[in-house]
Amino acid sequence: MPRISDASVRELTSDHPLEAQRVTVRFGQVTALDGFTASIPRESVGLLGPNGAGKSTFIKASLGLLQPEAGSILVGGLDSRSQSLRIRDNVGYMPEHDCLISSLNAVELVSYMAQISGMTPRDAMQRGHEVLDFVGLGEERYRLIKSYSTGMKQRVKLAQAIVHDPSLLFLDEPTSGMDPQGREEMLDLIRRIGLADKTVVVSSHILQEVERVCDYIVIISNGRLIRAGKTQSLVAGEEGVHTLTVRGDVRAIESYVRSMEEICNVLERKNEGDMQASLLVSGCEDGKAIFRLASERGIQIRSYRPEKLDLEEVFLRSFEGESKDGN
Amino acid sequence: MGISPIQYRPWKGERSAQNLRVYVIFRSVINHGMKSPGVIILLVIGFFIVFAFPLISVVFAPHERLEASDMNSSLDSLILAIFALLLAAVVTSDLISEDLSSNSFVLYFSRALKSRDYIAGKTGGALLLMSLLCLIPPLLIAVTATLTQSGNDYWHSLTVIGRTIGAGALATVFYVPYGIMMSSFTRRKSYAAVGTFMSFFVLTIIAEVFAGFAQGWRIISPIDSLSYSFDWIFGEALPSFINKGALAALITLFIVLPSVVVYVKITRQAVGK
Repeated sequence: MPRISDASVRELTSDHPLEAQRVTVRFGQVTALDGFTASIPRESVGLLGPNGAGKSTFIKASLGLLQPEAGSILVGGLDSRSQSLRIRDNVGYMPEHDCLISSLNAVELVSYMAQISGMTPRDAMQRGHEVLDFVGLGEERYRLIKSYSTGMKQRVKLAQAIVHDPSLLFLDEPTSGMDPQGREEMLDLIRRIGLADKTVVVSSHILQEVERVCDYIVIISNGRLIRAGKTQSLVAGEEGVHTLTVRGDVRAIESYVRSMEEICNVLERKNEGDMQASLLVSGCEDGKAIFRLASERGIQIRSYRPEKLDLEEVFLRSFEGESKDGN
Repeated sequence: MGISPIQYRPWKGERSAQNLRVYVIFRSVINHGMKSPGVIILLVIGFFIVFAFPLISVVFAPHERLEASDMNSSLDSLILAIFALLLAAVVTSDLISEDLSSNSFVLYFSRALKSRDYIAGKTGGALLLMSLLCLIPPLLIAVTATLTQSGNDYWHSLTVIGRTIGAGALATVFYVPYGIMMSSFTRRKSYAAVGTFMSFFVLTIIAEVFAGFAQGWRIISPIDSLSYSFDWIFGEALPSFINKGALAALITLFIVLPSVVVYVKITRQAVGK
């Protein structure tokens, strides 16, 4: 029986297994991807963007299900236009929507999909049970899928995506509809898959979850790359930007802020009650002056530290006209 | 001490070539069909009602050779047409409608599978099941009659076996594309099954109505056109009002047009339209 080579597997384990170059995809008058360019590294990657940003279109175009009007997508060095079948053999996809064949049980479905991915019936059955064990589906695996809860269906969707041991995995809203405990378990599964030297692309609206499992973030809006970079560097904020929290009389705080504006750039001010304010400052070369001015006005400095953001702030700021690479 | 979670383990096996994946779908359709009580009942009852008596008679009744007219009368029966139509409706009704209702196309097409392979696997499985009623039993009768003939004209009998294969293959192929097309129109297999069955009968009724004005209209009835095709294949005279070109074109249309519709619909589904 003819077998396929594992060359594409090796290619998918390169440092950047997924590269998009000026990709444009249009549906009639609607431009879903507009010159989108991104290089996805071999780690857990969060694909973020508002509804209609182009995340799903990018995934479908990467799988070769959609033909870009312009530009190219290379998956493990293979062109998504002309080599889509070779690409798909080494890619797993967990769709967001309900897609499981409800008249089958989990074992039948997962082993059937494994066979369509090229496994022998015997291998497919063995591997099917193995991945169902991995995703935590016990004896329920012999029940018809139509009787499953949403959480169980999400697990089966993940199992069918990993059954053929893909090198690149697209997970579209993997925790959708799951309860808090189920979410935790799903995130743990994603983390464990990522540790197995896979590229895992997680498309999600829940930014806290993405921040917890992804090492790299790609933010898309209106079909364009808005921001990309290591999660750590994105949430670290800009170099030289500090958060200063001060406490004191309202007038004293006002006076202090005015004097600070003479020696630094005060980027943002947030009042935290009547007696406390938080300033986002940059360009403060003379650190001692900050403390001296505070002392002169009877102000307490509660903290002064480099800016630290959460992913939600990074996401929101990305839509305030910023467009830069966080690497 | 806590229990360590199961770690992800890579798979080290070899994959089959991509063009062989079509057989996975083919096998799945056959397995599914052979587990379906409806399919089994239709196959068994259809065989006994349509083919059991001719099979017994060729074994026990003395005959010089296999005659084309005998095979034509076996295949060209309204009961076989009805059983074949019912079987096609049952076999094809959930082939695509189930994937439509569960949105599972994405599971197929995110793998190394072309839409034409998907259709070929589904159609191939359905054709094999249909052949268990429309091709294998008449072929069994023809071969049995040839083996038990008293005369020496085996060449004639082999020619009739060839014609029987042709007619059986046509009966096998005739209803499947239409049934699959109906299955691709709806998410409910019951609608697809009833739609397949009823639309053939509606065409037959329309043909009857128009035949009142001109007999040639009879060929728009799928059951009648299949019957005339059997006459043609077995070398019997066609009624004067039947135009052979029109008959061939119509039979081709019944098979090709639904296939094209299904191909277009599935290709659009593959890209999520």
